[in-house]
Amino acid sequence: MKKMKWIGIMGCVAAALLGGCSKSKPVLHVYNWADYIKPELVEQFEAQEQCRVVIDTFDSNESMYAKLKAGATGYDVIFPSSYMAKIMNDQDMLLPINPAALPNLKNLDPAYLDLAMDRAMAYSVPYMLSITGIGYLTDRLPDFEASWTMFNDPAVKGACTLLNDMRETIGAGLKARGYSLNSTSEAELAEARDQVIEWKRNIAKFENEQYKNGLASEEFILVHGYSGDILQVQEENENIDFAIPREGTSITFDDMVIPRDARNVALAHKFINYLHDPEVAAENTEYISYLCPNKASYAYLSEETRENPILFPPEEVVANLEVVADLGEENAKYTKVWDQIKAAE
Amino acid sequence: MKRSRIPLYTTCLVLLFFYLPIAVLVINSFNASKFGGGWGGFSLRWYRELIDQREIWHALRNTLVIAFSATALSVVLGTSAAFALHRFTGRLQRLHYTLIYTPLVVPDILMGMSLLLFFVALSAQLSLLTIFLAHVTFCISYVAMVVLARLQDFDFSIVEAAQDLGANWWTAAWRVLLPMLAPGIGAGALLAFTLSIDDFVISFFVAGPGSTTLPIRIYSMIKHGSPPLINALSVLLLVITFVLVWFSQKLTEEKIK
Amino acid sequence: MKTSRRRRYTEWLVTLPSLAWLVVLFVLPTLIVFAIAFKPANPYGGIGAGWTWSTLASLGNPNYPAIIWRTLWISTTTTVLCLLLGIPMAYFMAQLPPRRRQVFLLLVIIPFWTSFLVRIFAWKVLLHPDGLIKQALVALHLVDADASLLYNAGAVLLVMVYTYLPFAVLPIYAAAEKFEFALIEAARDLGASSWKAFRSIFLPGIRRGILTAFLMVFIPALGAYVIPDIVGGPHSEMIGNKIAQRTFVDRNLPHASALSVILTLAVLAPLTAGMLMQRKKDRHAVLHQEGL
Repeated sequence: MKKMKWIGIMGCVAAALLGGCSKSKPVLHVYNWADYIKPELVEQFEAQEQCRVVIDTFDSNESMYAKLKAGATGYDVIFPSSYMAKIMNDQDMLLPINPAALPNLKNLDPAYLDLAMDRAMAYSVPYMLSITGIGYLTDRLPDFEASWTMFNDPAVKGACTLLNDMRETIGAGLKARGYSLNSTSEAELAEARDQVIEWKRNIAKFENEQYKNGLASEEFILVHGYSGDILQVQEENENIDFAIPREGTSITFDDMVIPRDARNVALAHKFINYLHDPEVAAENTEYISYLCPNKASYAYLSEETRENPILFPPEEVVANLEVVADLGEENAKYTKVWDQIKAAE
Repeated sequence: MKRSRIPLYTTCLVLLFFYLPIAVLVINSFNASKFGGGWGGFSLRWYRELIDQREIWHALRNTLVIAFSATALSVVLGTSAAFALHRFTGRLQRLHYTLIYTPLVVPDILMGMSLLLFFVALSAQLSLLTIFLAHVTFCISYVAMVVLARLQDFDFSIVEAAQDLGANWWTAAWRVLLPMLAPGIGAGALLAFTLSIDDFVISFFVAGPGSTTLPIRIYSMIKHGSPPLINALSVLLLVITFVLVWFSQKLTEEKIK
Repeated sequence: MKTSRRRRYTEWLVTLPSLAWLVVLFVLPTLIVFAIAFKPANPYGGIGAGWTWSTLASLGNPNYPAIIWRTLWISTTTTVLCLLLGIPMAYFMAQLPPRRRQVFLLLVIIPFWTSFLVRIFAWKVLLHPDGLIKQALVALHLVDADASLLYNAGAVLLVMVYTYLPFAVLPIYAAAEKFEFALIEAARDLGASSWKAFRSIFLPGIRRGILTAFLMVFIPALGAYVIPDIVGGPHSEMIGNKIAQRTFVDRNLPHASALSVILTLAVLAPLTAGMLMQRKKDRHAVLHQEGL
């Protein structure tokens, strides 16, 4: 008898859970990088539009793309980097952007837009800019130099990480040897491969996400990572600093795109437009420490942010930055080199 | 005669090994210091922050929806499979037994991979439904094995007696057999439920938009989230586990009575 | 005649639901994996047209044998360690009075009921440079202050043993519980040493439990993916990581399938061997009984 009572209680709990949550508000499915939007802004958007926003996260462009191809359809807004947005567009996976629904596009910074792949914003809208570089602990590395050679330093053996991202990490190897990070020359790629394999013997892990906490908790003292991620954890550990390697590195546009099978296209446009509202964009930039290339929003940024050389790098630094491009069929060369790196002892 | 003490020492060491990480986790969940290097004072801060994490609650809801529905269906399929395996013999049941047994030993990653390719081949949309289908597939085998073990201790003459008294086979099965097997079916259901709640690898392969389950959420928290929040969440899960274990003990005790 | 047809009808009625479900969602997907292993890949992540041997042939390239070898040795070592710890534990537990036996059994089961990911995470915390174990080892001068305990094959092995040990203890204990310990006393009375009695009477007596434990640890260990992913480093990738990378990063499903085929074969070998051994022994046991 007691058992029946228990089953009854569990049934009620289940019913309450199922019933309680299924109010029929419109739902916006978003696929984004982790920690890449201020949560309060999402809540504000939900209140404004009487909808629910469900965010799933991915940790690399490739994994996001693979998941979509495997049948994860039904996202309304996705945040790929621009080279991946181009691939998705070439694969006919995206809907055209409707500029009429996005009055805030006029706020975008033309200087940065010139660097973008989809300048006309036909299928993508820029979201944030990020620079890939080196995060490190100033107190533990007094002899730090802003150079990729730091990954060879015996002082960081077993306490540094490289990104688990084919294009970024091979790109770092290419840059360290003085080549373009979009090189398709077999000889240059072979040099980059040997460079990364040399680093691999010194690192603790190839890692895209854990490096943030790892650096903050001083588990790692040198990490290859994205500018905003490192700036975000500066708040937790004041010894953290970010450097742009002097050999050059990559700058990435992360875009917002609407996939072909989106269920709520109108709401997706509203969301994109909302994120380019100057005040919203400024608040988001302050929170996630990446730069939203929205010129109208700069006026709302704090002085500290406006003077941050990582967010607004001086011209000579910008000249050293390169955008990762889609290489089409040549991509197979990178996959092969990446496999050799992963398998090397 | 002197007995070796090695078995005793091994047992104690292994139990220490089992509980040390869990104990550290529980203690750290009350530690005010964020990275748990030292003791920063007692605090309930992480539990309070946990309550504000709506992604966790959303994931928990997905997990429970799948666990309840997958358990319900797999109990029906698994119990009927156990009946079949117990009552009948022959080539068909040998094949049936192999099919029930193999998923128990196949590594998760193979099952996840094959189900993903199956859904790709069908061009199915990945969603809560695909996770549900995957979970039922591995739960059937566990339920069938648990119920089968109970059936082997069962005295079928009772069912025959009911039939002699005029009940047809179905009435006898429904009115006599099923109630007597209820504790076994309950234990199978509980096992299916906990396996479904805990599954990460298979769900990770077949999850789609908005169908993040709790283990998938925990995995991404391990990657980039705040460690003390995972500690606090783990302690909550531990408490739930203890309640479930206690509940299952109650079930078996009742059976003995 | 009529009842036998009725009986067949009932048999199909109770067999078909689970049989059909498993054929569609277990057998068919496995066949699809085998089929896709013979398909070419296209650079944008689709599956190409036509059939090819080249995907399987590319597994011969020097990148794979190293990973397959590593997977085998980590799984084997894990299994051996689990058996070495599990057998004395079962030996001890099975000789306790029933009530205390229940307590110990519960103590073994409870950690096994906590979330799998949480258990791995707990080790990540313990092995962290500021964690308890590292500090203790440094204080005892057993490791260097700069040494890293995480992100190597040793950490993977440790967490694998931790995760799979209950799978070894439980079946061995189940066998040991049925073992007649008076036999050991008798052997000792006849002058055998404890060790000899343990080895030549107890171990053969629980053979079946050991075999089950071996399968329960070795097979899942072969497919491990989460543990090397979280506590492993650049030199401790296992075959499961490669399958996940091919599926989720490279989007090369034919390659992922080919690797899965290898893993399936690696799993089937010990499984069939185990089943055959068990069947042979069962037959022995039956003959033995009949002989008596």
